[in-house]
Amino acid sequence: MNKITGTLRRDEAELKRLLPAEDVLTFPFRGQDGREFLLVFADPVTDKELLGEQVIRPLGDYGGGMSAKEVAECLTSPEIKQLSRVSDLAAEILAGNPVLLWEGADAGLACGTKKVFARAVAEPPTDVTVKGPREGFVEDVKINCALVRKRLKTCELRLHTVQIGRRSKTAVTVCYLDGISDMAVVKQVKRILRRIDIDVLPDSSYLIHFLSPKPHSLVKRVGTTEKPDIFCAKIAEGRVGILADGSPIALTVPYLLAEDFQSAEDYFVPAARATFTRLLRLFALLTAIYLPAFYIAAQLYKLQLFPVKLLLTIMGSIQGIPLSPSLEMLLVLLVLEVLNEASIRMPKYVGMALSVVGALVLGETAVRAGFVSTPAIIIIAFSGIGLYAVPNLIEATSVVRLLMLLVAGSTGPYGIILFTAFLLCFLCRCESFGTSVLAPFSPLIARDLKDSLVKYELSALGMRPRALNSKNKRRMAP
Amino acid sequence: MKELSARQLYFYFLCIAPVGKLILMPAQLVSGAKNDLLFPALLHMLLSAGAVFCVMLAARAEKPLPELLSAAFGRIGAAAILFLFAAFFLFAAVFPLTEQMLLVQSVYYDTLPSILSFLPFFLFSAYFCARPFAENGRIFDLLAPLSALGFLGLMVLAVPSADFSALLPAGAAGGNGFLLAACESALWFFDPALLLLFAGRFRYRSGMAWKTAAFSLLGSAAVLFFLAVFYGIFSDLALRQTFAFAKVSKYFSAITVLGRIDYLFLCLLTLVMAFYAALPLQACCACLHGGTNGKLPRPAAACAVNAAALALLLLTRFRYAALQEWLMHKLFWIFPLFGVLLPALTLLLRRPRRAR
Repeated sequence: MNKITGTLRRDEAELKRLLPAEDVLTFPFRGQDGREFLLVFADPVTDKELLGEQVIRPLGDYGGGMSAKEVAECLTSPEIKQLSRVSDLAAEILAGNPVLLWEGADAGLACGTKKVFARAVAEPPTDVTVKGPREGFVEDVKINCALVRKRLKTCELRLHTVQIGRRSKTAVTVCYLDGISDMAVVKQVKRILRRIDIDVLPDSSYLIHFLSPKPHSLVKRVGTTEKPDIFCAKIAEGRVGILADGSPIALTVPYLLAEDFQSAEDYFVPAARATFTRLLRLFALLTAIYLPAFYIAAQLYKLQLFPVKLLLTIMGSIQGIPLSPSLEMLLVLLVLEVLNEASIRMPKYVGMALSVVGALVLGETAVRAGFVSTPAIIIIAFSGIGLYAVPNLIEATSVVRLLMLLVAGSTGPYGIILFTAFLLCFLCRCESFGTSVLAPFSPLIARDLKDSLVKYELSALGMRPRALNSKNKRRMAP
Repeated sequence: MKELSARQLYFYFLCIAPVGKLILMPAQLVSGAKNDLLFPALLHMLLSAGAVFCVMLAARAEKPLPELLSAAFGRIGAAAILFLFAAFFLFAAVFPLTEQMLLVQSVYYDTLPSILSFLPFFLFSAYFCARPFAENGRIFDLLAPLSALGFLGLMVLAVPSADFSALLPAGAAGGNGFLLAACESALWFFDPALLLLFAGRFRYRSGMAWKTAAFSLLGSAAVLFFLAVFYGIFSDLALRQTFAFAKVSKYFSAITVLGRIDYLFLCLLTLVMAFYAALPLQACCACLHGGTNGKLPRPAAACAVNAAALALLLLTRFRYAALQEWLMHKLFWIFPLFGVLLPALTLLLRRPRRAR
């Protein structure tokens, strides 16, 4: 029953039965010799102007044969699909591709005249660069693919699209360079995507849960970017990229932790400057995590860690504070997290007021009232800023900082050391598609160190990262 | 992940194994050998390097220890030997744990903290022990630069205060002093036994045996240098300077202005020490796992071994002096036997055919 019958009324009725929604419209019209055609389309997602130009107008003058092939040849739309199952035709209609039927048709024709709702390509707000390209991905997978294709004009670029989501039917495109990407990773990605059985796929972040072997883990296993230039560079290194319709965030695998310490700009400035910035990011991150913890541990367990003059200043500040150092620090940290969360979600025009309330009212008044000490505010403020030096790791690092704080308060400096040992041990086990996330530091890959925390001149980066197991090792002539 | 590389083994002997010998061993050597403290240490180091060479040659078969032993002594014989080694590793772990606990309590806390401050070590150790032995390679890759940075940092701060002429005249302690110090320091040298557990977990390449022994000697050279600096700073007072590595740097002139910046390096070395102290426990787990033919799961072995180590630590924590006396004067022979001699003898084992 699912095949089209060739009887126009019966096929129309069947489609209507499958698609009873009121936004699915039919448009009957006749050709030159009076033959009847029927267009079925989803009104909001169909570009009717294009439909008129590429389908209705050519058929108005058509007087040739009535086989699907012959009719398709008459249409001027470059995307024509010939389908004989009514359910397939219904799926195309919902995807924005109108379906053309006629009396005696052996198959229906799905015409690619989808209306594209996409904002203009603009600089992504989460990945701003001073120097370098400013284009960012948008919510339409086709435009995103075009942005990739624009940068990788090679026949080796493979785009493999699958539909995910029983109801959303979201298009997800796997991008890789044939002959460069590790095919084992490509196959694994495709296999995982094929197996996903979900109702609706609202965003590419949902895919991360499926692509990670341990979705609950704090350490991410999938890289993300909003910039096509970074995405293409990663693909060219041998990674596999994933684009999902409706999401401006592209995913890349395998993921290495060192990626998040790099920025696009590192490649547009002198190598020495890039190295300095990367080391600065590492320093900022480590300080952000360890400074509050060591401050508490020193206050509670080992005052000798402070130089004498600093110790006297701190003692002067914390005198009369009713809370214990750990509680005080936790409280300030909690306030910072709340302010952070609120300032992200709050409408822009209230943002300024929030800053004033946060900085002046809460911060200064709390210090004056003697609830919290000035060093605690300074340390947490620096820590808050430091974590954002590596924004892509913020989800994990903010939790680690909190845990480190709890450990420092309860077991002191040795607790911090042990917790670090535990973290190292844990990180050594984490793999993303067969590659250690700590590569090229563990396992040590000397060649890949040239573009890790340090950055060599471009001339020294002739080889692709060994950690990614690319088939084609050389990317630049010596 | 399943295999170690040669580099990771070299890192272990160069940067990680020496760190475990910097806490109480220097003062202990001084108690027997005085200014000749380098000689008994050198003896142990040469013996260890020789045993490392032999173990590496035995590892050419690329078979793990249980299989090597099974081929030579049968399954039951192999299990018995593995259980014996498990007991040795547990026994060998007690002293490093005790010294680390004392170090932590004395260096990282102003007032003597409760034993609870050290107990989290066993949580970490249980997690570490539950991992397969071969996975340590990646950890060695990470720890090696941290250890090198910590050691070099401390040495930079310490060397200006050292008067190396304090080591002269050589041989003043005499043969008895040398022997006493050699016996008393034996319990810090059992790395070849740990190396046994790495057998079969790396691809043997030509020349690996002598290279590993050479890296072991290089690591030992670092320890000897540390001992020389230590004695150069404290001279006759060195005997009372327990937790040597935490004390050598505190006379650096800038510390009064900058605060204890040496703690940064101490923390790095303590981090490496935490792994080093957990290694014998992990080796014990590996022996139990291998001895039971894998029937005792690693997590269960890890919990049992760490519970046993904790119990031993709690039992001996108020009897540290007695434990030291007992280990150094009565049972010191166990360490050269299990830690050096028996591992070296694995070279004589009938080797199973190499699988390629």
